[in-house]
Amino acid sequence: MHELKIAEELIGIIIEVAESENLKKVTKVNIQFGKMIQIVPDIFEFVFESAVKGTLAKNAKLKLEILPVVFVCNKCKEEAEIDDLFFVCPRCGSNDLELIQGRETIIESIEGEKNTNSQKLIAKA
Amino acid sequence: MKNVLDRNKNKANEVRNLLKEKGVLMVNMISSPGAGKTTLLEKTLGKLKDRYKLAVIEGDIATDRDAQRLKDHGVPIVVINTEGGCHLDSHSISKVLPEFDLDNLDVIFVENVGNLVCPSHFDLGETFKLALVSTTEGDDKPIKYPMLFREAKVILLNKIDLIEYTNFNKSSFNKDLNNVNGKVPLLEISCTQNIGMEKWYDWIINQIISK
Repeated sequence: MHELKIAEELIGIIIEVAESENLKKVTKVNIQFGKMIQIVPDIFEFVFESAVKGTLAKNAKLKLEILPVVFVCNKCKEEAEIDDLFFVCPRCGSNDLELIQGRETIIESIEGEKNTNSQKLIAKA
Repeated sequence: MKNVLDRNKNKANEVRNLLKEKGVLMVNMISSPGAGKTTLLEKTLGKLKDRYKLAVIEGDIATDRDAQRLKDHGVPIVVINTEGGCHLDSHSISKVLPEFDLDNLDVIFVENVGNLVCPSHFDLGETFKLALVSTTEGDDKPIKYPMLFREAKVILLNKIDLIEYTNFNKSSFNKDLNNVNGKVPLLEISCTQNIGMEKWYDWIINQIISK
């Protein structure tokens, strides 16, 4: 259940951004997790919904994208994506791989409405 | 773009810098419940405490039972109860560090909460992660929990004395581990039967010497 702790950290950042951008409410959060983080989207959405209750992000929609694992082979320099988390180069069979994607916990953007007027704002997190 | 775990990462880097400045090695020990983390610590403290200055941070969901098992060794122990939390984080480590005399320490062993998933995603500021698995858990752990086995600096396979009573397939385990992390050293041990322990002590002493 690292989903809960990650959701709490996420909400902390959302509130910080919302305050600094003077948002009265947050409408959407776009987030990306690498496959290696082993986030279960259903669980994450559930804990997120529970944890935003009573905050200005309470009705925010969560868009969650899982990024595949991508590596560069140190031996033959092949760049490839793997599905099954077997870290073997499909070209030369080497297991000496450099991970270049798959461990992300990224907030891409936070969308909301400004306090001053109802103008829509997309804050790049 | 912001990293959700920035706060944890920043605090972990603070911890790491402080420990480096003080010349203290921190080992983040990760395993399933019952794999033998506390027994490994009991043995390791017994073997190394006269030679090096050791300390322990015990991460537990509740109770101080693990700490009770270790207290006879007379090394400083601090318990962090996560009260349901399934892993430690860098903030909880940073809070308890002032309880140690860091100028007078060589190693802090951190016994993380028993769990193979969550602890591997939270940097504590450790020098390295240690993964402990046991033959009674089954041979499929590296492929199910690749993050931990990818990140660990050493893998200990405990309860090797019990292997004949289990369906643990060593060649399948080795193959999966090799596919997840082909470079990591694997040490086969039995803490209770003192099998392979000298290799482990040599390995950790090497880390202490070269810290």
